[in-house]
Amino acid sequence: MYREGKIQVWQDYQKEIADNHYFYVRSCIRQNFFPGSEQTFLKIVRTELGKDIVENPHHTTCSGIGYHADIVPFDTIQTIVARQFALMTEAGYHNLAISCITSFGIYNEIIETWKEFPSELEKVRNCLKRATGREFEVPLNVAHAGDIIYKFRENIAARKKFSLINQHTGKPLKIVEHIGCHYSKMFPSKGVGGAEFPYVLAGMIESWGGEVIDYPERRHCCGFGFRQYLVMSNRGYSVSNSRKKFESMEPYKPDAIVSNCPGCPMFMDRWQYVIEEMEGKTYGENGQGIPVLTYEELAGLVLGYNPWDMGMQMHQTNVEPLLDKMGIHYDPDLKYAGKDGKLIGKPMMTGCGC
Amino acid sequence: MKHIVIIGGGIAGIETASALTDTGHWVTVIEKEAQVGGKLNNWSCLFPTFTPAEKIIDELQDKCRNKDFSILNKTEVRTIHRQNGKFSIETSNDHKLEADAIVVATGYELFDARRKEEYGYKIYDHVITSADLEELFKTGNDITVAEGKHPKRIAFVHCVGSRDEKSGNHYCSKVCCITSVKQAIELKKRLPEAEIYCFYMDLRMYGKHFEELYREAQEKYDIQFIRGRLSEASEKINKSLLIKSEDTLSGRPLKMNVDLLILLAGMEAGKGTAAASETCGIGCEESGFLKTTDSFLKSNFSEQEGIFLAGSCTAPMSVNDTILHARSAAMEVNGWLRSH
Amino acid sequence: MELYQELTRDVRFIEGLKSCMNCGICTAICPAAEFYDYDPRIIAAIVQSKDEERIEELLKGDTIWYCGECMSCTTRCPRGNTPGLIIMALRSLSQELGYFTESEKGRQQLAIKRVIGENIVYRGYCVLPENLVPELHPEQGPVGLWIYENRDEVYERVGANYQGDGEGALRKIPQEAMDEIYRIFEVTGGFGRFDKIEHFSKIKAESMGFTEDGDDYSDYVKYINTNNNGKHTRQ
Ligand code: SF4
Ligand code: SF4
Ligand code: SF4
Repeated sequence: MYREGKIQVWQDYQKEIADNHYFYVRSCIRQNFFPGSEQTFLKIVRTELGKDIVENPHHTTCSGIGYHADIVPFDTIQTIVARQFALMTEAGYHNLAISCITSFGIYNEIIETWKEFPSELEKVRNCLKRATGREFEVPLNVAHAGDIIYKFRENIAARKKFSLINQHTGKPLKIVEHIGCHYSKMFPSKGVGGAEFPYVLAGMIESWGGEVIDYPERRHCCGFGFRQYLVMSNRGYSVSNSRKKFESMEPYKPDAIVSNCPGCPMFMDRWQYVIEEMEGKTYGENGQGIPVLTYEELAGLVLGYNPWDMGMQMHQTNVEPLLDKMGIHYDPDLKYAGKDGKLIGKPMMTGCGC
Repeated sequence: MKHIVIIGGGIAGIETASALTDTGHWVTVIEKEAQVGGKLNNWSCLFPTFTPAEKIIDELQDKCRNKDFSILNKTEVRTIHRQNGKFSIETSNDHKLEADAIVVATGYELFDARRKEEYGYKIYDHVITSADLEELFKTGNDITVAEGKHPKRIAFVHCVGSRDEKSGNHYCSKVCCITSVKQAIELKKRLPEAEIYCFYMDLRMYGKHFEELYREAQEKYDIQFIRGRLSEASEKINKSLLIKSEDTLSGRPLKMNVDLLILLAGMEAGKGTAAASETCGIGCEESGFLKTTDSFLKSNFSEQEGIFLAGSCTAPMSVNDTILHARSAAMEVNGWLRSH
Repeated sequence: MELYQELTRDVRFIEGLKSCMNCGICTAICPAAEFYDYDPRIIAAIVQSKDEERIEELLKGDTIWYCGECMSCTTRCPRGNTPGLIIMALRSLSQELGYFTESEKGRQQLAIKRVIGENIVYRGYCVLPENLVPELHPEQGPVGLWIYENRDEVYERVGANYQGDGEGALRKIPQEAMDEIYRIFEVTGGFGRFDKIEHFSKIKAESMGFTEDGDDYSDYVKYINTNNNGKHTRQ
């Protein structure tokens, strides 16, 4: 593989990412499965980067999962999104920072729809006014939270406590990245690096000392498929698509998977456990799984944050193999502790814990 | 004696120059490269007869030597002004020419296959274009992939940069289907052990002997044709390529591992033709190729009186068609000059 | 009713289908085609044919419910189509007309509405920790079970504000905000969609021998959530 070819592609897709003053909208899935990642993101942006980012407790789900499971009509989601814009406008902000790839896709889809079909925008303005009395402006800049970390990756590198280097071998850690389909497949120009060779995560990994692993099924969907996971009898779709990715990345022996999207890391984390339970197959070294991280967690580790403060105990696939390689010290006894070290019981781990 | 300036010394330019000289006119060809013949210089042999490209080049060079027209090599047109029914032309090396008529024969450019990012040209080790393959044929170099081995399985990808909204080219490049058939046969002759697949969407075997060659490719050379367009290629750890398509005739997604992937890069109007459009003040079609005033009866006429068009600056064209189009351009110019 | 005409009233349909050249690029990378007996190219081709009978078959069948709406099919379509958007328009129409209850996969809409739909309207989230009931989510594994059973403490430990006031992850969305979401559902036809899903599902449940039984057809919901005739995947 020739890196120069990729650099060329990356240069073709440079998106503008606002530099400060963000209005933050949360992700339903992140909040449920990796709430510590959102916490970590806000901490990095506020305390490490010194930027202004606000949230409003009145913002809600964008209803995206309902929309992509087809129970929420387009008019409804457009108006819910317009309401988030109204909260942003009322707070005096213009730059949206979105915690979720599904939302990010939806915001982009809706804004593009309004450009192409101005009558839709008028309709939504009316609906929102009637339902809530609110008015809104379309954001000037729409960034995924990952874009912001990408933009400031060198600032983070400058403050780093740990590198993505294997402390035992001195070699860069091999990291697989997963972008999330709705990040740039619909609108390649809205994603850093475009759709085919996205650079948003690759850029972070490289800046922090790691090596990006490109593998044949890199672009393939994690298998969420909305209704294909939500409905119990459809989940074969979900696991079999994740499995296809694991099989494809396995020969490269990755040290970790990092994901841009809230849902994907949960699936790639849990499905590794399911595949081990069903087939006894594991994809990492020594019968372990491959740790799956959110980019916020990856950034947090690099900055020396406590993995348990960031919620990395909420992963089903153990993250310790990665922590050990990075030379991060952690207290195994406190992994499953509650607040202030309170003991609250531990998961009954079966198998390798992945 | 009337003076005609021809922009471009490829097949179309030289052929027009030769025919116009024969009708008794004074002709000057402006060519940006050091030699004439354009892209044909990079080609090994031509479909459907496997005629060596050199044979055509030699023929063109003979005409340049034996006929009384002049060629300004390594020269480009800078400006063109029309005065009292004549054109005054200024070139990049400060030549000033006067002409009674101009023929634009600026040709095409190959689509830059890097723009189809999903195929990984110049990213993956063993993805090449049809032009690269032709160069390999021409040099006679051994065709090898990882670890110096011969490729065992090879796929040709049709319509790369043609018939594709994402590349911005809606048109068909016309010659790549038959090029694929020709190159597949040549490859099979050189690598008899290799399995060869062509991923096509429609097979445009429009010319004389094209369909027959396609049949021969199937019957004699066992080339497999799969009706499905390639969606993506990705490189595996051993540098072979995983390609994904659909076998649309059986309605099944199809994944295949190949050692070498050959992209049939299409034709684009290119920079030379865009520049000619600018300096001559003649319009382009949406495709970027130059506009003719009527596609049936005036296929050599530009929008500007006295400026004529020849060859693939007007549309993708085979060598054969280019020669014919050039000869017809010469006839049109001659006719027009005589009536003025 | 002219089904094709109905479809063209959905902007997503207009955006999703310009003209299909049957190239198969979309199918080649579709995760649904990988798993199910599904082919987005054929969906585009059928709809493009404007064949009312075949469109009706789609609306009543399992096929349109196989798509995962990953939108991988839009990136490379040489004609600028998005089969995923065509699917969204077809699914909307199928629910509008009640055809979704004719297929096993279509019937699942009720199960989704009952969980995700209610969460959105009454809680302001698509998913909630309380939904991750271990029996329904064995894939969440021992860690998922531990989180579920100790959710107050686990969420507190990682800095979330589970069911709390003010900002933060999993906060309780203020009632005024929920009232606005409710109004939005009223004004934009969100409840119209919900009502149709409930209405047609009830008819179907009755015809399949399920009864209301004071618990809102929960047996039917359980049935559609878990039933799988095993005939959906590629052979
Ligand atoms: S000639 Fe064949 S390969 Fe070339 S653009 Fe036309 S259909 Fe595609
Ligand atoms: S990629 Fe586009 S043109 Fe090709 S089959 Fe799919 S929808 Fe049709
Ligand atoms: S959106 Fe649907 S049809 Fe398109 S690639 Fe994804 S699963 Fe396939």
